[in-house]
Amino acid sequence: MFDDRSPIYRQIASRIKADVLSGALKGDDQVMSTTQYATYYRINPATAAKAFQQLVDEGVLYKKRGIGMFVSPDARDTLRAERRESFFAEVVEPMISEARAIGIPLRDVVRRIEEREQR
Amino acid sequence: MRFPRRLLAANLYIALGLWAALATIVALIVVGVAIFGQVTESAWEKGSLAPRWYALFVGVGLITTFLPMYVAHGQTRRRFGVHAAITVTLMAPAVAAMITLGYLAERGIYHLVGWEQKLTRPHLFTEPTQLHLLFLEHLLELLTWMAAGTLIGAGFYRWQAGGLLTIPVGVGLVVLTQSAIGTELDLPIVDRVLRPDTPQPLGLVIGAGLLSFLIGLALAWTVVRDVPLQNKVS
Amino acid sequence: MRIDVENLVLRYGDTTAVDGLTFNLAGDKIYGLLGRSGSGKTSLLSVLAAFRRESAGSVRVNGQPVFENADVTRDIIMIRDGGETVKIGTAEDAVYFAEWLRPNWDGDYARSLMDRFELRPKAKVSEMSKGQQSAMGVVIGLASRAPLTIFDESYLGMDVPSRYAFYEAILADYMLHPRTIILSAHLIEEISSLLEEVVIIDRGRLVVHEETETLLSRGRAVTGPADRVDAFTSGFTVLGTRQLGPTKSTMVYGDLDQDQRRQAVEAGLELEPIAMQDLFVHLTGGPR
Repeated sequence: MFDDRSPIYRQIASRIKADVLSGALKGDDQVMSTTQYATYYRINPATAAKAFQQLVDEGVLYKKRGIGMFVSPDARDTLRAERRESFFAEVVEPMISEARAIGIPLRDVVRRIEEREQR
Repeated sequence: MRFPRRLLAANLYIALGLWAALATIVALIVVGVAIFGQVTESAWEKGSLAPRWYALFVGVGLITTFLPMYVAHGQTRRRFGVHAAITVTLMAPAVAAMITLGYLAERGIYHLVGWEQKLTRPHLFTEPTQLHLLFLEHLLELLTWMAAGTLIGAGFYRWQAGGLLTIPVGVGLVVLTQSAIGTELDLPIVDRVLRPDTPQPLGLVIGAGLLSFLIGLALAWTVVRDVPLQNKVS
Repeated sequence: MRIDVENLVLRYGDTTAVDGLTFNLAGDKIYGLLGRSGSGKTSLLSVLAAFRRESAGSVRVNGQPVFENADVTRDIIMIRDGGETVKIGTAEDAVYFAEWLRPNWDGDYARSLMDRFELRPKAKVSEMSKGQQSAMGVVIGLASRAPLTIFDESYLGMDVPSRYAFYEAILADYMLHPRTIILSAHLIEEISSLLEEVVIIDRGRLVVHEETETLLSRGRAVTGPADRVDAFTSGFTVLGTRQLGPTKSTMVYGDLDQDQRRQAVEAGLELEPIAMQDLFVHLTGGPR
């Protein structure tokens, strides 16, 4: 079910984040319970709870006592801002390294990006 | 759960089934004899030699099957010991009653057909009509054999092959009761060496029977009181 | 239920199966007891379940000694290969006694589990296949709802689909009826995601007791050019190394802080988590 490249709870957290970013989960939407997550992924509920706790700490989710977990109204904006910050370090830099390693001139890359923008 | 209701029920259920099977076999043999010859003696007397072996296995099974089950279900060995003792104490009269009932049924049938219910072995009783003695003899016998079974079962459960050493002790207990009763032992070898024939005073018989019963249970308890559950796949 | 094991020793004649174990479990979690064959898992659990008496040291459950202590043992069930609770006669017979001897027995749940594992009530347990006998143990173990429920590898006799059904059942029932559950295993990958904490023992001694996620986060494979890997891993507990030409991969055990992670990335090293099974192999001393 999970590859073993990162702890399960981080994988769950990043999936929820991805859903928030894509708009599949909107502000004040309720997310599934730890029980449902644990059942679905066949994992210990404490592990699922850990993912939720991480998201609460990061301000993506908030807890309503006795009801469950909800998406923070500004979660999407916060996540987008975060991703924008890390975009160059995590996406662009590796792309540049890769392009160099396999011998694609950077100006080809830039040209391609410009073509996309004009379309 | 002070009373071993289900332990007793399960054992009684099996005992009733075996009793019915024994009665059927004896009846078939009687019919066979009647067809090809003449019925001159009690067939049930011979059939009733089987239940003592069954009693032995009740004792063995209590230790090898039910003791581990009790402990695995979170009961103490102490609790099991009490339950096993109650079960044995009540199973013996129940089976003795079944044997007695067999004699009664046989008497009724023989009477109708006009056969004689003659006894061929020494007993506490001389006539099959002495129901109280008939019951008593089988009761003491079954109590002893069951207690011997628990001892031998305990020996094998705890020490595996070393349990062989408990067999002479078990045999000793059986010999004590049987020789007091004055019946033939129907044990290999022992029977030939010891041939008690004169019946003893009733008080002595009861005392000897109860004594060997209690010694058997007490010895079995000393073996299982802290016995580890065995690891092997049974 | 809280479990305190202190300096526990268990000997069989000359063999020391458990050799001075000490650990505490807070309770109400799913624990994994991991160890290689013959590491002392079954011996430890036998003492915990009052199946046998310790040679030295102590085991306490909720602060009380266990052996011959009815107040504690009534709350404990251990299911193992011996089949003590199921090899009584038919499947129905096993249920008959469990229902009677188990204070929290749930008959409806037992029936639904028997349906799920396709166990016929009238079938004789000793004539069932190995897998079905194990499944029968699972039924008795789960439906007893004992506050301390122990499965000692017995479920490993089931085939893969049944084992997965068992894992799902155990999780679902644990969430509905939280209790202390201990699973012992030597096949680890399958159950590691179920476990909140793991206790690893080897040769009768404690190797590690840790939250599963923490344990997993401590293990890292550092991969890259050999000289740089060696420089980076010099201060760590090294579990094992592998080398392919100029590339070296070293498994280390220990906490990595943010700085160290950054150093590794800057040195062009790859950091990867290690699967529980691999961690286990190396923590318990590799092949022998």
